[in-house]
Amino acid sequence: MKLRLLTGLCLSAALTFAAGFNMPAGKVTLKSAGALAFGPSGILFVGDSVGASIVALDVDDRTPGPAGASLEIKGVNEKIAAMLGTAADQILVQDVVVNPISHNVYISVSRGRGADAVPVILRATAAGKLTEVPLDNIKNASVSLPDSPTADRQRMETITSLKYADGRVFVAGLSNEEFSSSLRAIPFPFQTADKGTGIEIWHGSHGRFETQAPVRTFVPYEINHKTSILAAYTCTPLVTIPVSELKSGAKVKGTTIAELGNGNKPLDMIVYTKGGKHFILMANSKRGVMKLSGDNLEGYAPITKQTEVTGVPYETIASLKGVQHLDKFDDASALVLMGEGASLDLRTVPLP
Amino acid sequence: MLALAGAELVLAEGPAIHMDGGVFRVVGWQAGALPAAGWSALLSVYAGVGDVPPLLGTYSVEAGTLTFRPRFSLSPGMHVRAVFQPPGGPPVEAVFEIAKAAPLAATTRVAHVYPSTDILPANQLKLYIYFSAPMGRGDAWRHIRLLREDGSAVALPFLEIAQELWDRDNLRLTVLFDPGRIKRGLASLAEAGPALEQGKRYTLAISRDWLDGRGAVLADEYRKDFRVGPADRTPPEVATGQVTAPQAGGTDALVLHFPKPMDYALLQHSIAVTGPSGAMEGGVAVASDETEWRFTPHQAWTAGTYRIIVQTTLEDLAGNHIGRAFDVDTFDRVTKVVTQETVDVPFQVQ
Repeated sequence: MKLRLLTGLCLSAALTFAAGFNMPAGKVTLKSAGALAFGPSGILFVGDSVGASIVALDVDDRTPGPAGASLEIKGVNEKIAAMLGTAADQILVQDVVVNPISHNVYISVSRGRGADAVPVILRATAAGKLTEVPLDNIKNASVSLPDSPTADRQRMETITSLKYADGRVFVAGLSNEEFSSSLRAIPFPFQTADKGTGIEIWHGSHGRFETQAPVRTFVPYEINHKTSILAAYTCTPLVTIPVSELKSGAKVKGTTIAELGNGNKPLDMIVYTKGGKHFILMANSKRGVMKLSGDNLEGYAPITKQTEVTGVPYETIASLKGVQHLDKFDDASALVLMGEGASLDLRTVPLP
Repeated sequence: MLALAGAELVLAEGPAIHMDGGVFRVVGWQAGALPAAGWSALLSVYAGVGDVPPLLGTYSVEAGTLTFRPRFSLSPGMHVRAVFQPPGGPPVEAVFEIAKAAPLAATTRVAHVYPSTDILPANQLKLYIYFSAPMGRGDAWRHIRLLREDGSAVALPFLEIAQELWDRDNLRLTVLFDPGRIKRGLASLAEAGPALEQGKRYTLAISRDWLDGRGAVLADEYRKDFRVGPADRTPPEVATGQVTAPQAGGTDALVLHFPKPMDYALLQHSIAVTGPSGAMEGGVAVASDETEWRFTPHQAWTAGTYRIIVQTTLEDLAGNHIGRAFDVDTFDRVTKVVTQETVDVPFQVQ
């Protein structure tokens, strides 16, 4: 069985992609910057929930990073606040992701907490230097999501997770009105005609109750040349869904492989390989960072009895407390944004 | 020689750093050619205390004066330190204290919490908290508590989404009860039990310490008391018998009555009216604890056949859609499956 994280594209493939994009350069005005994801060739996707759009930015960052690098920025939120001329409690760090080519870290930040908050994208190098990604003249493309907020309509879909796999940007969101479960699959390069129809995700509980199940966070992975997503529902089950089933307008039921218990909300997940075995590392809101075996994911019998609290075996990594965001840094390290008080640290940690 | 000029520490002779309108200028020094390392090699401005990176901003030379414009206006109360290193000369440092903001009046309130009713089903799905002015983001979950009758707090009753489900203007927060404690057959429900138990009384308490968009606390704590009825797993339906039709010639409201309260936000835009001349324009109001949808046309009713068109995405308080329950029990006999996107309710105006 072969399992790998899809964003870890090899460089030759990345350069081939780069030639094919031809995104025009221009000014990008984000209304908000939330979930981030890297696509092919160092293309950074930004989820703009307030603007109801996904923006692709060519951050022009394709120089391969050195092997074995590490990163540590203590008090990163305080440092970012200082760069933005304000106090740390006046910014919100929304997401952090690693460029799989350069291993530079990209951070989405909101300067301010009110409706007048300004989104900023920052880059952190392994040396710990923070710079702003200028949006005045950058190669970009964007796609609007349906139902954007209007003056007379308060509906808004908050983008909770964003990932790229197999030529599509997958967008998980949660509406502030109807309880729906649309996962969008948007082909990239963006095409005006195809904004990615919603896919209804359902949860079948023990073969009896079926409910719409919004996806909170997910990660694509590949098993035996078949790409699937590993997704955490807002109602706690962890499921797998083959990407081939994620077709526009489809109703898809994930296969439950674990139930991680009450109050345990997965925040971020990565997939990695160590010592020939495959693992999933998951940051949770209440129960710390969990390491799950990723071997034989497709071989787990779906959970069908309520007595089975967990399907896939897992262990909790005691040394990682207060992890808010998690991404794969390289083959040996994960990047975490962590902190249990007001001060947050951005650092690499060895993959457990 | 050092001299103190206001809050500004400057050399009595030679270059000095001035701040005017948030813009920093090196006066008494003629800017020459751009240094190889950029102007930031000569002038950096730091906001805050300790080892912080320099402020983001842009450099320019204006009439020979090296000028730095911060990317963002400096927040009130910031401690700012500017350092100028002239080539071959001693460094010049100036400290500025940005004036603190005047104390803010606590004027923002919770305007209303929907549902309005004080009896909620045990599988209540969401709450809408409306505020009188824009709120600050990123700190909601500390301030919203569900209290039992004895004052103890229910642990983790809500889906604590870090992004928080605000509307565009930060005037309304949508709070979802944790679906892991509502959906039947889940380990989390078996482990923690439901957040709301039938027959018990609760209080939704919203703390006064929650900061609004200006950074001021709320004017008051907000409390909503309610009791919990049985779980509702019956899909709502709409039929002509629920319609109070207006009379021709006037602009009285058309009223669609629901046998139970419906989702306030969805009622605003899930229902439309068409008549003999097509789609009707008018104002929508929601009344009687969200059991009445009222439509007042812009133009007088004329006699004829009309239709109320209800989107099946309209939900009741427990997230049951028109014609489809929130959680479908696949062991139950499915007597009616609604797959269409709208349901038409015809009525006559006479």
